[in-house]
Amino acid sequence: MKVALTTWNERISPVFDAARQVLVLDVQNNQVVARHEETLPGTEPQAQAERLAAIAPHTLICGAISQPMADLLAAKNIRIIAFTAGSVAEVVSAWLAGALPNPALAMPGCYGRRGRFRGQGCGRGMGACFGGRRTM
Amino acid sequence: MKKTTDQCLGAETAAILESISDGVFTVDSNWRIMSFNRAAETITGIRRREAIGKPCSEVFRASMCEADCALRHTVKTGKPIINRSTFIVDAEGRRIPISVSTAILKDKKGRVVGGAETFRDLSLVEELRKELEERFQMGDIVSRCAVMRHIFDILPQVAASDATVLIQGETGTGKELLARAIHSLSTRKTKPFVAVNCGALPDTLLESELFGYVKGAFTGAANDKPGRFALAEGGTLFLDEIGDISPALQVRLLRVLQDKRYEPLGGTETLLANVRIVTATHRDLSAQIRKGAFREDLFYRLNVVKVELPPLRKRKEDIPLLVDHFIARFNRLQGKVVTGVSPDVMALLMAHDYPGNVRELENILERAFVLCSSGSIERVHLPPEHGGRESSPPSEGNTIAAQAHSAEAQAIRMALERTGFNRLAAARALGLHKSTFFRKVKALGLTLPEHDGRSRRKST
Repeated sequence: MKVALTTWNERISPVFDAARQVLVLDVQNNQVVARHEETLPGTEPQAQAERLAAIAPHTLICGAISQPMADLLAAKNIRIIAFTAGSVAEVVSAWLAGALPNPALAMPGCYGRRGRFRGQGCGRGMGACFGGRRTM
Repeated sequence: MKKTTDQCLGAETAAILESISDGVFTVDSNWRIMSFNRAAETITGIRRREAIGKPCSEVFRASMCEADCALRHTVKTGKPIINRSTFIVDAEGRRIPISVSTAILKDKKGRVVGGAETFRDLSLVEELRKELEERFQMGDIVSRCAVMRHIFDILPQVAASDATVLIQGETGTGKELLARAIHSLSTRKTKPFVAVNCGALPDTLLESELFGYVKGAFTGAANDKPGRFALAEGGTLFLDEIGDISPALQVRLLRVLQDKRYEPLGGTETLLANVRIVTATHRDLSAQIRKGAFREDLFYRLNVVKVELPPLRKRKEDIPLLVDHFIARFNRLQGKVVTGVSPDVMALLMAHDYPGNVRELENILERAFVLCSSGSIERVHLPPEHGGRESSPPSEGNTIAAQAHSAEAQAIRMALERTGFNRLAAARALGLHKSTFFRKVKALGLTLPEHDGRSRRKST
């Protein structure tokens, strides 16, 4: 399964809409078997969504994301764990341990909000997860 | 332990920051939030206690944080940034437009200890801007010219009535778009809008198309077929090119308009027509009446409310607005990222006369989209007849003078083409004396063909 994380300075990139770097992990049996980096345009929403869709991740782990952008990705059947913050290493470990979404790795003001970002297929209470596909 | 705003800034400064409506936060040298005022809490939706001590990019979440951080730039160069526009993303996924200003924070010894960022919520400004843009739009028609604005103003009242509307305008001026706008503003909007181009069908076919026919009405009429009047039941029937229908059909149409009744071809039963009629023509119907080609009584039935759409050459101020409108639409439809047109191209588009009106402009841009998928549309993307022969000049700039030169050159080229490269006729068509014409040709660096269209002799 392919997982994409938008990264910046060894942390999760603050805003997916403007992110330019993606770490792509190939995960099998809860182990990262391969990893490589890709770039994103970081400018126009449609181009950003198209580029990510071309990478074809099952799940995207990112920081803040605007609703129109999230809708574009959901239409491309990409599951999103949004409003995630923290170092890339911490976030990858948490993902492999099945501990995302996680209050310790959420952006300020984004955990437990009763907003539209509350779990579509993810843990209740995490204001950060939605997407087109369910977890495995 | 995290410091409070008071501890960081002093009680007086903190009190001032709490009272202002602009968001303010300060960061230390590690880009972690040190203070966060009340307005910053309101705009971002993040409580101060959640923000303090966190990386500013994860609290602020602006589109510029990663690639073009204003505060980082200020700390690096020592130069403040004033009112740079960007957007932040709140926890609900809303893009909040803001303007950002930055400053350096120094300690008593003058050493840089961090930075301060103030930001203003521009949501209201954006809303007002959009509202202003909407004032220039009615349905799919955009215009800021006074004549069109008047049409926009009366259109809701016209739509609210059930009166027959006659739209007059040259081809490509948006007659059908206006008819659709009338329908969508009317109480019939949930019912069908049916458009028929009366000029496209032979008379006998048009009659059966409009009124329908019953089984056995003519050879091949194997089943009943409802006409457009029946299909538009409860809605709006748009009859385009009404000036092209035959006298016989004019009589039938007049009867429907007078009695709201009609009979399908070959039928004996009279049907009621609950349909609002909107008609359009590019012809001058008054002149048609004088020639005896159009019935006067039908004209008065159709001409209850008359709307005249001006040709594009008489509302050239709309061209930039229309260009933006079509570029946004083609970007959306074709998934491209064209940003606009170069000043050179805009000058050419402004100089053209548009015999095909808005449709012609739309086609020019659609053609340019085939060749251009990102950046701005350049001359090289235009068809030759619109001045697209040369590639874009390196950097003419977008000064008024450059645009005027470009427009003049285009006008001269087109006048020459129209007159078969007859210099004298071209000068006359442009209202110039021949010596002024030749001086301009020379100044603009235009090359004239060897043959003069007037004499067929080689020009000297």
